[in-house]
Amino acid sequence: MDGTADFFRWLAEAHRIDVSIAYDPLDRKRFLIGLWTTIWLSGVCIGSSILVGLIGAWLHGARSAAARGAVQVFVQFFRNTPPLVQLAFFYFAVSAALPPVTDRFGASVPLIDNVGWAIVSFSLFAGAFNVEIFRSGIEAVPRATVEAAESLGYTRLAAYRHVVLPLAFRVCLPALGNNLVNLVKTTTLAYAIGVPELLYAASQVWSEVFNVREMMVVLLLTYVALVAVLVHGLRRWERAMRIPGYSA
Amino acid sequence: MKFGIRLVLGALIAVVGTFGAAAQDTIAKIKQRGTIVVGVKNDYKPWGFLDPSGKIVGMEIELAEDVAKKLGVKLEMIPVIAANRMEFLNQGRIDLVIATMGDTAERRKVVGMVEPNYYAGATNVLAPKSANLKKWEDLKGRKVCAVQGAYYNRRVGQLYQPDLVVFPAVPDALNALQGGNCIAFLFDDTLIGSTLAGGDPKWANYEMPLASEDPQLWAIGVRLTDLDAPFGKLMKEMSVDWHKSGRLLALEKKWGIKTSPYLEEANKKHRGS
Amino acid sequence: MSALAVLLPRQPAAVGSEWGAARMPSALRSRKTIAALAILGAVWTAAAWAAAPVDRPSVLALAVKWAPLIFGGFLFNLLVSVAAMALGTAAGVLLGLAQISLLRPVQAASWAVTQFFRNAPWLVLLFFAMFLLPFEWRIGGVTVPFPAWLKAMLGLALPVLANVSEIVRGGVLSIPLGQWESAESLAFSRRQILWRIILPQAVKRMIPPWMNLYAILTMATTLISVVGIQDAMTLTRGALVAEARTDLYLPLYFMLLLMFFAYCYPIARYTQVLERRFAVRG
Repeated sequence: MDGTADFFRWLAEAHRIDVSIAYDPLDRKRFLIGLWTTIWLSGVCIGSSILVGLIGAWLHGARSAAARGAVQVFVQFFRNTPPLVQLAFFYFAVSAALPPVTDRFGASVPLIDNVGWAIVSFSLFAGAFNVEIFRSGIEAVPRATVEAAESLGYTRLAAYRHVVLPLAFRVCLPALGNNLVNLVKTTTLAYAIGVPELLYAASQVWSEVFNVREMMVVLLLTYVALVAVLVHGLRRWERAMRIPGYSA
Repeated sequence: MKFGIRLVLGALIAVVGTFGAAAQDTIAKIKQRGTIVVGVKNDYKPWGFLDPSGKIVGMEIELAEDVAKKLGVKLEMIPVIAANRMEFLNQGRIDLVIATMGDTAERRKVVGMVEPNYYAGATNVLAPKSANLKKWEDLKGRKVCAVQGAYYNRRVGQLYQPDLVVFPAVPDALNALQGGNCIAFLFDDTLIGSTLAGGDPKWANYEMPLASEDPQLWAIGVRLTDLDAPFGKLMKEMSVDWHKSGRLLALEKKWGIKTSPYLEEANKKHRGS
Repeated sequence: MSALAVLLPRQPAAVGSEWGAARMPSALRSRKTIAALAILGAVWTAAAWAAAPVDRPSVLALAVKWAPLIFGGFLFNLLVSVAAMALGTAAGVLLGLAQISLLRPVQAASWAVTQFFRNAPWLVLLFFAMFLLPFEWRIGGVTVPFPAWLKAMLGLALPVLANVSEIVRGGVLSIPLGQWESAESLAFSRRQILWRIILPQAVKRMIPPWMNLYAILTMATTLISVVGIQDAMTLTRGALVAEARTDLYLPLYFMLLLMFFAYCYPIARYTQVLERRFAVRG
């Protein structure tokens, strides 16, 4: 560890290539906190956006026209407006319109803070795409399969859970994977509302140490690596879920 | 192993590219271009801000206009933020920074700070009266809005441990403060003072509750290579002149800023000499 | 297998588009969507009207006051989107063709470039372009200035070119191999097959994902506000600071959202129409 730190210190002094996060403890700590924030923020948003997608796809199959219409408005609105404006809309506008709560200092503070709104905003944004993805997957399941399940005594919910979803999910996986990769990339927008994620951490470092070039390279490589890990995981998952004898 | 790392890093840096500004006489270059490009604030009322027509106006903008007039060229203004102004200057995208820039030792390694300093400020917070802040220690653990790249973020962050929420630009932070997303906005006391003194009803319920700390001079920034070259010298002369003639005091009054002791003192000093 | 196949879902064709190829609703539903949004807009107007306090200008009056400035900013966003798209498409087509080159090194290098820029976040690429591109270029003896808005366009064109590259590759690969083989048996050269037989068919399939990408780019142009370029988002924020009215936050941001929706939704609808028209049955 010390050898690496020494090497980077030498690099900074002799070649003006200042990767300060490699030898400065404060900068390294900030960067690692940023990395961790990006990872857990992505994880939470992936989970909740899948949930939003499942609920949306379920409502879309409902008999009530109002429910179907509401899902459509939600999906089209979130797919066709900029995620950055959505984020600002939630964090600045919706937050100000909600009733405040009292914190432990006795002051009134917003119900949801910036990290909370980032989760809400990104989950709804990616969730809107997931609704469409799941829906197309569900539609790809033949009617006959559902009827077969119902003739075996499954209720609609049970058939949905045990028959339709498992099949539809396999069809959706490639498109879902694409969307989740995008979700991870979208978490950088949280920078705009001061969530201490990776981009925020990097910009803090470069505005104090003035090593934009180096931090930019580190940042790009880190994100490409994060996405590569996710893609790899999704691919393994896809393989594990494959039905033997049936493939694309 | 080390050689391998060095090779990879070297290649990466080569890809990214190193771009330094050429050491050519800046005044000649500006005159040849017919335009001086100045990095200014467009979110820092009344130093540099937008009027409803989208034009940038303010006290610092008038200083930039003075410089352009002196050189006999047109003025082009590029809005900068704390996080990018020094980069822009050193890349050569702008010739000059007049953007509420604090004069710190760290920064002097990167940009040339023109003396005498044209203004001075200190650190304070803008907070709603209902927040009931009394001392800096009250900030501990509370959400405090701030702006990326401001020199006081680090110091206040370490000293008083607020939960800093740092935004890319001032309007975001002000929006967040007004929307109740933070308890206070960490900023320059000059700006807070002038904002509150403006008598604007929207700030009627806000106050600057703490004792200002960490006084800081503001400087006009030039590239380090320009500091002792004709361009830097010209800026120094103009800066002396602004103090001596009372131009800065007059501008302060015109833009409704509370007269700062620093300017009064500097005016006396330069007139005397 | 055959019995199983009846009960198992159809596998949709994979499309190389960034956001996957989820299908859109029928035309009937979309009309309802528009109607619902129109109602939302009307409700917004009414609420803004009703919420007006007696002693201050109404929220609606303030929204109307700032709307022209914000709309002007929005037009700038559109300008940036068109320029970045043109730039990214031109470079992306070349990169995409390089990806199907028979020369191994060319193929590998173009693949690597495509993957790198496709997997990096847009905002980070934008920062990258803003901070690290030079302010001017010397071509021969001439100095060409390189203003900020041009850098922003280049920064947005980077992810576009990578995605266009994937679209081109995906489009060409979607044409059945049999077409290559039968054309080869008719003694066409590789170049002739590509330009005369494969590409004309592939282009049709590339258009929907390309338009989808354009809509995504248009929405991504708001990112330039984060790196300090004045656009609709910056101006909205500026207006909110100038007025300092918390009751104005919702209407102004919603207005901005509606501007983008009004532009992007029709594009999405038309993309879907084309997708169906060009869909190959089988």
